Amino acid sequence: MRNVGRLVLRLAFVVFVVSLLSFWLLDAAPGDPATARVGVNATPEVVAEARAELGLDDPFLVRYARWAGDVLHGDLGESYRTPGTTTWSLLATALPNTVLLLVYAQILALAIAVPLAVTAARRPGSRWDRTTSAVAFGFFALPTFVLGVYLSYFLAVRWGLLPAVATDLPGVFEDPVENVRQLALPSLTLGLTLVAVYLRLLRSDLISTLQQDYILLARARGLSDRRILWRHALRPSSMTLLTAVGLNTGALIGGAVIIEVLFAINGMGRLTVNAVFASDYPVVQGAVLLFSLAFVLANFVVDVLYVAIDPRVRR
Amino acid sequence: MARNGARWWRHVAALLPLVLVTAGCGGGSDGGGGSDGTAAGVTVAQPPGKPVAGGELTYGIRSDGTGFDTTSPLLPGSQEVVGPMNDPLVAIDENNDWAPNLAAGLAPNSDFTEWTITLRPDVRFHDGAPVDAAAVVANLDAFRASPSVGYALAPVKSVTAVDELTVSVAMSAPWAAFPYYLSGQPGYLVSPGTIGTNDDFVGVGPFVLDRWVPGDSVRMVRNDDYWRGDEGFPYLDAITMKVIPEQEGRRQAFAAGDIQAYSNPGSSTILDFLADPKVRVDRSSGGSLEMVVTLNTAKPPLDDVRVRRALVKAVNRKIVVESLRSGLTEPADSFIDPTSEFSIDAGYPDYDPKGAADLIAEYEKAVGPVELTLLATNTDGMRDTAEVLATFWKEAGVDVKIKEVAPGAQISPVINDDFDAVLWAQFGGVDPDNDYVFFHSSGGALNWSNLESTELDEGLDLGRSTDDPKIRAEGYAMVQRVLAEEVPMIWIDHLAPVQAVVSAPSIGGIVPGTLPDGSTRLGLTNGAQFSWEDVWIAR
Repeated sequence: MRNVGRLVLRLAFVVFVVSLLSFWLLDAAPGDPATARVGVNATPEVVAEARAELGLDDPFLVRYARWAGDVLHGDLGESYRTPGTTTWSLLATALPNTVLLLVYAQILALAIAVPLAVTAARRPGSRWDRTTSAVAFGFFALPTFVLGVYLSYFLAVRWGLLPAVATDLPGVFEDPVENVRQLALPSLTLGLTLVAVYLRLLRSDLISTLQQDYILLARARGLSDRRILWRHALRPSSMTLLTAVGLNTGALIGGAVIIEVLFAINGMGRLTVNAVFASDYPVVQGAVLLFSLAFVLANFVVDVLYVAIDPRVRR
Repeated sequence: MARNGARWWRHVAALLPLVLVTAGCGGGSDGGGGSDGTAAGVTVAQPPGKPVAGGELTYGIRSDGTGFDTTSPLLPGSQEVVGPMNDPLVAIDENNDWAPNLAAGLAPNSDFTEWTITLRPDVRFHDGAPVDAAAVVANLDAFRASPSVGYALAPVKSVTAVDELTVSVAMSAPWAAFPYYLSGQPGYLVSPGTIGTNDDFVGVGPFVLDRWVPGDSVRMVRNDDYWRGDEGFPYLDAITMKVIPEQEGRRQAFAAGDIQAYSNPGSSTILDFLADPKVRVDRSSGGSLEMVVTLNTAKPPLDDVRVRRALVKAVNRKIVVESLRSGLTEPADSFIDPTSEFSIDAGYPDYDPKGAADLIAEYEKAVGPVELTLLATNTDGMRDTAEVLATFWKEAGVDVKIKEVAPGAQISPVINDDFDAVLWAQFGGVDPDNDYVFFHSSGGALNWSNLESTELDEGLDLGRSTDDPKIRAEGYAMVQRVLAEEVPMIWIDHLAPVQAVVSAPSIGGIVPGTLPDGSTRLGLTNGAQFSWEDVWIAR
C-alpha cells in the first residue's frame, strides 16, 4: 500500500513537471494567442485589449498558478481559437476516439504478434521464424504515415473494404460495429508498426523460457509442445512484452497525431496539432495534461499488472 | 466514384513527403478562384433530368474556421461552413453586378449618401424570429461596433428602421458600391438574440446547424421553413462538412467514396480531374484573390522606391505560374480582376533582371546593402513561392532571409509594422471597392504597406463615390497607376483558376446557382463558395 502511495506521489510529480515545462515551452513559442483570439484584421489596440483580457501580460508564474488552480477546480478554460467552446468539451469529444484508436491498435498488434511469436519460438531459425520476423520488421521500418497511405490505397480506394477517412465516427456504445469499421484502417496502420517489437521481445523471452528446467520436466511428462508454449511458457515470458506495451503507449500517442491527421479522426492528436498552429494555449495545455496523465497511468497499470502476472514481484 | 488506379499510384507517392511535413498544418493556399465545369480537358455535364429532393452529401473541406460570430472576422473555413446556413442581403450575379437576395431591394438616393433596404415579408430566422427592419438594424449596428470588422462599414453614419420592412442607411460620404459589401460578411444576418454567438449560427439560409465538432465536422439539416421553399429549395436533406486538412487526403477520401465532393483540390489535382470524365471540376468565376508580397514602405530599405521596383523587376512571374501553379493561373499586376472593366495596363514593371540588379547597385552605392526578411507561412504553397522569390531577389543582389511562421502568425508583425515583406494570398473582392481599406491612408493598421498617397486616396474615393462606370474606371486607373509606380506590393498571380470544387458526376447544381429573381448567380465566389440550396444528388 505504501508502495502504491509512493507511486501515486511520483506520478503526480511527473504530471506537475510536464505541465510546467509545457506551459513554459508554449510561452516561448512563436505566435500570439491574443491575435488568434481577435482575428486577422484587428488593430494593435484591439490586440492589446485581448492580451489584457486573457491575462497574457501577467508574469509567467502567475499565469501558470492561475491555470493550475483552475485545473484543480475542473476548469481548463475556453478555447482561444473557437470562443464560446470550452477546452474540456473539445477534449471530451476527442479523447474517447484517441483512446479507442490506441486500444484497437494495441489489441491488433498483440493479436498478430503473440501467435506469431509463439509459433516462431517453437522452431527458432526456421523459415517461418525468419519470414515472420522479416515481414514484421518491414512494417516496423515504414513510417506510420507511409504505411497508412499504402493501406488506405489498397483497402479503401482500390478494394473499397474500409473507409479512407472517418467521416462520421459514432461512439463505441452508440454503434460499435460502425465505430470499429471506421477506426479499423487507422488502428491497423498503428498496430502493424508495433508487431515487430512485440514479436521479437516475446519470441526471445519464450526461447529463453523454453530452456528452463520446468519446461524440460513438462516435456518429459509428455505434454504437447502447444500446451507447453501456451500454458506454461507464455505467461512467464510476458513481462518484457508488458513493459513494452506500457512504454509504447507514449510512442503510440505520438504516432496517433499523424494517424489522426491522415485519417481525419477527431482525436487528441489532431486537436493538439490544430491548437498548436492556432496558438490556442488552453487547448494545448489541456491536451498535454491529459497526454501526460495517460502515459503515467498506462505505466502505472503496467506496474500493477506485473504484480498480477508474476507473484515474485510482490516480494 | 473516381477510382483510377494508375493515376492514384502517382498521388499515393506524392503524398508521402507531403504528410511528413504537414501533420495537421492546414494546407497551403496555392490557389485562388475561376470558371465552370468546363476546361481545357473534358466537359462533365450536370446530371440529366430535373433536380430531385433528398439525400445527404458529405463534403470535404480544408478547415472549419474558428466559429460563426458575425461580429468577428470569419476566416475562410468559417465562411465555407456558414455558407449553407446563410443568405446575405445581397448576392452577385453572373455579370459581377450586385443583386438583391434576402433583401427585396436596395435603392440609393441621388448622391449615394443614403441607401434604403427593403425586406421580404414573412421571412424567419432558423429560431422563428422575424427577419424585419429591427433585425437588420441590430445586425448592422453590431457589425459597425465591432473593433475587428467594423472598419468595413466605416462610412455608415447611421442605420434606422423606417418601418417593419424598410431600413435606411445613412453615409458620411457618397458610397455607390455599398451593396457589394452586403454580399459579404456585413450582409450576413443572424437572429438578433444570437448576435455575437460563436458556436451557433441562427441564420436564414437553406440549412440549419445540427452539430458542430470544432476541427472535425459540421452537420446541417434541411431548413423546412426556408423562405425560398416555394421554389423547391433546398434539395438536400442534410450536409456533413468533414475537415480533411490535406489536399491529397481529400482526394483519397473522394476516390474511396467517403466524400462526394470537396473544395480546394490544388492545381495538380485540378489538372488531372479536368481530363477525367468521371469527375466534375467547377472553378471559381468571381473575385480576384492574389498571391502578393506586401512591402513595408515605412521601413528601410523598402522605404526607397528604387528597392521596391528592383524587387518587382527581379521576379519572373511566369516561372512561378508554370512551376508552382501548373500553368493554371495568370500573372498578376494589380489587385483588380484582369477581366474587370476597371483593369488597365498601368505600366507595372516587367521582369527585368538586369534593371533590378542596376537599381540595387545604385541603392547600395548611395545607402548600403539591401537586406530584408520575407515572412511566409510554413504551408506548402507559401513556402515554395517564398523560396522561388528569394532566389530571384538574391540574383539581383538582395540579401534575403525567409522567416516561416504558422498560418495566422504573420498577422501580428504586419499590423504592428514589425516586418519587411510578407507573402500571402489577399484581396478577392468582386468589386475593387471591397479592398478600399487596405490601400487608403485612412485604413490605419489595415493599410499594411503604410503607403500614403493623395492620388491613391483620391482614386479610391472616386471609385466608391458613384456608379458611373466611366468615373469609377478613372478612379481605379489612378489607383493602379500609383500602385504600379510606387509598388507597395509585388503581385505574383491571380489565384482564381485554382480555387475549385471537385464533385462526383451525380452531384448537380453546384454551379450555376439561381437568384430569387430567377437570374443566374455568379458561380463559385469568395474562394470556392456556392449556393447550397441548388445542390442535388441524382438517383
